[in-house]
Amino acid sequence: MKLDFLPCDEDHRIAKLAALAIGIHVLESAIPSPLPGVKPGLANVVTLLTYFLYGWRAAIWVSLLRVVIGSVIVGTFFSPTFMLSVSGALGSLAILAAVAAAGGLGLSPIGVAVLASLAHMAGQFAVAYAVFVQHPALFALLPVLMTAALVFGLVSGIFTQKVLVRLHRQ
Amino acid sequence: MTTADRVVVGLALTLIAWLYAAFWTQGKGAEVAVLVNGVESQRLSLAQNQLFEVAGRLGTSKLEIKDSQVRFVASPCTGKQCIHAGHLKRGGEFAACLPNGVSIYVVATRTEFDAINF
Repeated sequence: MKLDFLPCDEDHRIAKLAALAIGIHVLESAIPSPLPGVKPGLANVVTLLTYFLYGWRAAIWVSLLRVVIGSVIVGTFFSPTFMLSVSGALGSLAILAAVAAAGGLGLSPIGVAVLASLAHMAGQFAVAYAVFVQHPALFALLPVLMTAALVFGLVSGIFTQKVLVRLHRQ
Repeated sequence: MTTADRVVVGLALTLIAWLYAAFWTQGKGAEVAVLVNGVESQRLSLAQNQLFEVAGRLGTSKLEIKDSQVRFVASPCTGKQCIHAGHLKRGGEFAACLPNGVSIYVVATRTEFDAINF
């Protein structure tokens, strides 16, 4: 039996995609946000592209690598921000896996992006309420957060759609 | 954009509209509970505009209910902090004339505040 520890093509692919996502994530962290927890989330475009090009398992790798390494670089590793980031990522990845298991459901990247974005925000809110701020007044923030999630989900979805069209044309 | 996408966006908009309706509206059927020396003496509905008086230790405090809000109008105390507390309308809001021993507390179907500090 021969042991093979050399990286295969898939490893290289995931590493490159994760690096791209991390780069976008770190650059985006420089943009100030009007409300805590609301950001365009442009690095998610890379996660979505990975999902549509290489499947949901690759998307999980890219997403989690981006969240962990991105937080190490930005300096929020294991902070409350990180906990919320992870919970959001897990929420959106669960939806991605569910959509993949259901065979795509006839959704284009826009629909998938919106679902993933809402699931991301819901996952974050659930953890924020359960672990950090148990006050019922937090729910007054939920409609605003979900509106932002819908808007930025649509934006990410449209970006992903455009990139996929360009890639297929090559 | 496929039909399934439109369904998803439509459902998302419905969900968001419901969230605003559920969490951004006031509790209905609000009443004000009037306490004299810490003991509830009467409850009045905020739906009816009225002026009423409450007798306390120092004298009579005048209160007004108008436009679903309640406030102290006049009071025999020297500081008048009760009047300066202004209009109360959300569940859980509280104002008191401590020298006179008269306080008011808004009771609604959804309490917005657990405690208020000044």
